[in-house]
Amino acid sequence: MKNGLSYGGVMFFSLLAHIALLLIVFVKGNYDSILDPLILTGAVFILDITWFVVLYFLDQNTYTFDILLENILGMSIIFQSCFGKVGFNIKHFIFCIMALILCECSFRFVQNYHFIESHKYIFYGLIGVLILSILLLTGSRSMWIDLGFITIQPSEFIKPLFVLVFATSLRCLRHQNQILGIKIVYDNWILVGLTGVIVLLQWWCRDLGSLPTFAAVAGCGLIMRLCYPKAKLSKKLIIGLCAGGVVIIAAALMLAPPYVQDRLHVDIWADPDGDGWQQCQALMATAEGGWFGKGPGQGYLYDVPASDTDIVFSTISEEWGLLASMLIVTMIILLMVTAIINTPRSYFHVTLSLGTAAVFTAQMALNIFGSCNLIPFTGVTLPFISNGGSSMMACGILAGFMKAGQAMVYYVPKRPVQNMPNIPNMPYPQNMQFPQDMPYPQNTQYPQDMSYPQNAQYPQDMAYPQNAQYPQDMPYPGNTPYTHQTQRRRDI
Amino acid sequence: MKSLKRGTALIAVLIFFFLIGMIVLIVKIILEAPMYVSHSAHAELGFVYDRNGDILFDHKARQAKESDISNGKYAENCYPEGYFTDIGNLIGDTSGQMSNTLVNKNLEKLSNYTFMAGITYEGGKAAIYTTLDHTANRKVYDSFGDKDGCAIAYNYKTGEILICTSRPNVDPVKGYDEYDEEENPMPDGMLLCKTFSKTVPGSTQKVPTTLAAIQTMGLDKLKEKSFNCEGPYHSKDDTDVHRGCWSGGHGEQNILEAFPHSCNPFFAQLVADPDWSIGDIKKYYKNMGIAVNGSDEGTISINGIISDTASTELNDKNDHETQWSCIGQGKTMVSPCQMMIWESAIANGTGKGTVPYLIDHTTNVSGRIMETADTSYTDVLFSSESAKELREIMVENGANNYNEYIGYEVGIKSGTAEKDIETENDDGETEYSKSENALLTGFVNDDDFPIAFAILVEGGSSTDSKDVLSVLLKSLDKPA
Repeated sequence: MKNGLSYGGVMFFSLLAHIALLLIVFVKGNYDSILDPLILTGAVFILDITWFVVLYFLDQNTYTFDILLENILGMSIIFQSCFGKVGFNIKHFIFCIMALILCECSFRFVQNYHFIESHKYIFYGLIGVLILSILLLTGSRSMWIDLGFITIQPSEFIKPLFVLVFATSLRCLRHQNQILGIKIVYDNWILVGLTGVIVLLQWWCRDLGSLPTFAAVAGCGLIMRLCYPKAKLSKKLIIGLCAGGVVIIAAALMLAPPYVQDRLHVDIWADPDGDGWQQCQALMATAEGGWFGKGPGQGYLYDVPASDTDIVFSTISEEWGLLASMLIVTMIILLMVTAIINTPRSYFHVTLSLGTAAVFTAQMALNIFGSCNLIPFTGVTLPFISNGGSSMMACGILAGFMKAGQAMVYYVPKRPVQNMPNIPNMPYPQNMQFPQDMPYPQNTQYPQDMSYPQNAQYPQDMAYPQNAQYPQDMPYPGNTPYTHQTQRRRDI
Repeated sequence: MKSLKRGTALIAVLIFFFLIGMIVLIVKIILEAPMYVSHSAHAELGFVYDRNGDILFDHKARQAKESDISNGKYAENCYPEGYFTDIGNLIGDTSGQMSNTLVNKNLEKLSNYTFMAGITYEGGKAAIYTTLDHTANRKVYDSFGDKDGCAIAYNYKTGEILICTSRPNVDPVKGYDEYDEEENPMPDGMLLCKTFSKTVPGSTQKVPTTLAAIQTMGLDKLKEKSFNCEGPYHSKDDTDVHRGCWSGGHGEQNILEAFPHSCNPFFAQLVADPDWSIGDIKKYYKNMGIAVNGSDEGTISINGIISDTASTELNDKNDHETQWSCIGQGKTMVSPCQMMIWESAIANGTGKGTVPYLIDHTTNVSGRIMETADTSYTDVLFSSESAKELREIMVENGANNYNEYIGYEVGIKSGTAEKDIETENDDGETEYSKSENALLTGFVNDDDFPIAFAILVEGGSSTDSKDVLSVLLKSLDKPA
């Protein structure tokens, strides 16, 4: 293995992390019966092993990402099962499994971006349905739909759809339409309108906590449109939009309702029993936990509202220590780093990955910095860690987007490639040699990380893969039809 | 491919900014953790001690029952009734009732906590060692009898506060349950240490006025000025306000005679004197830290405890209100603590006040000394020459009027302050009346016993304030 981590290695470290945490539960945990940590241990191990086996058979070559995600979710199950007292949190366990499944589903769904792009208006429609459901089904200006046995937060599902519409509308930038002599791109205005509707919806529902997350996605989407190679987008328009955005943000801050203004200016230590109560409790608990924590189930913060959601970072810090909190944050960051190391293979996928990273970083920042009084407290969830099914499933879908950019699954061109050897069922055989000066076909989309032969002549405008790791002097079988299919490659 | 790299670079930028935030957060948490923990209900706070090792604060303190006393000794965390009353609103507690107290402002120094080890529940040695003398403080507190007021005294060479007490006061061990807004309201000022609160200074304000006059005119020229006191006096703006001395008046006198007499007509005429302007008075007042006409008052912080600073309003020097302010009435307000700092600058003869402090040193959870006090001085409040010249005047005043009664050689200035009292009668109407407070401020003119002080006895006479001063100095002047 030249680059990256072996499947077994990643699996081993993931198991080791879970074993270490579970040992801490047994040694330092607060539990009534030994059965409680035993059940938790069993559940985590079953999930680990099942996932490793599934991954082995899926053979997706994204196992670092997959195992990292499962590792985070396993840690999340352990943390959430220990708040206040050790006891297996089956509800959170189920939502974690659903997140893994949804990750796999969304991963497969966004692989073929031509298909996705051609059906992009379905996503606008879905967003519309979700907005209507919020307006009609949630009750009095709330974000929650109460179904009796479960509550759903539709706005969480808008997040992945919002990322998706930004990515699917990129191709439209190539074409401008003229209305009354003014050149416009329809999709840009649709996106501006959609962003406005979401802002108004959040405002109406008095849940402005998620606004920075949507703003981060919109901001990243805007930058990606600005950078789009074939965009016929007026830069003046984009600068105008940015300036308009700044004006709107400034106006929103000035005209924000009193409860938002209070949160922007509150001195929590001046009112530790009032507006600053949750944050004061969170900070005290974090401090009391120190580096190594009081022990699983030994904290008191679990008694504070939103201890397992909005201030979950502090709850983990109190019981497990700041080191453990930093570890879980590092794991989520590593998940995003995989998207940097394995450069997504298309502009569509890189936009999806960036949108996902924007959601994750914005939510982590709002959750952690907000609960610890570095920024105003907004009350959003910590991706993959906070309790809550809607958030967990939305994060699973988003993780699938990020994973899709790193997988080697390619679009199959309809027309046969001329003058190209047919290499069935890549991967290429070892020691295959490519002919010198081999011409490449027009409009071919090459897989990421694939090397190209020495001195090959590339057509104009053809994107070719960077960082390919092809063996030198690879033999080149003659008269073999070239197909673009999944290629097994080394993961990071 | 370049555009794809741009996208991943943006992800890296997002992660970078988030990591910067995380670093800031972690540093913030580590640095502020002792403060967070000190606010926690689970905090294991250490003790506050006086200079002789007496406990001034124990967060587990409770009132001793008979069963808690064995062979005259009290069980751990048990204290006799009223044990903390003389320092209740100075040292404070964790009830949240008082904010401007030593404990409240220095909670993190008392937390038996480290980020590495967490809270130490047994054997933690975090403590604050103060400069106070609890025994002497108690005697001074008792010397007020049934009068309210306050007294503060410190070593004007080092800055150690030795006495700081205020009446009425709170017994933190007893708590606040007995008070009820309707039936049994708390006495006014019980939760405030009055030594740090503004009060009408009365004639003690003639100290800064005299200093301003000396600095403007020079003492020799000032001595040459004499004004007549016939008893009542009317300012030139013909305001019908009487601010006289006794009916006979002091007659013709200069500053050396008028200062010990505290002669209002003399000082009113001095303020109106053409040899200086209202600008001169404002300038020297501001140098002394008096906020004039709403200017920035600044703050005096004593180990986190905030003391009010002086303020006044000066407009036309012929105007009654302005003269009244320079005499120490009207809009003039000064805290006893600030008076004491002025006295230190006079006593030292440098014009620089010695900055008072309450915390001598602190120890951390393992008993290691963490911070020790250093003597420091204020900026120049007034010239050293004027300080020395006024010191002579005050010492002479002490020699002629106080030393024999008090038993120490002091430089001193007394004052009687009129205070408007608002009360509500049975019909719910507000009634106004006046009460007189007695003040004394000065210093002991002895290098071996360098004490500066300020005393306020509400509704008391000058004799009351002298009695308190006598007790204060005697209780501090213990054989080594």
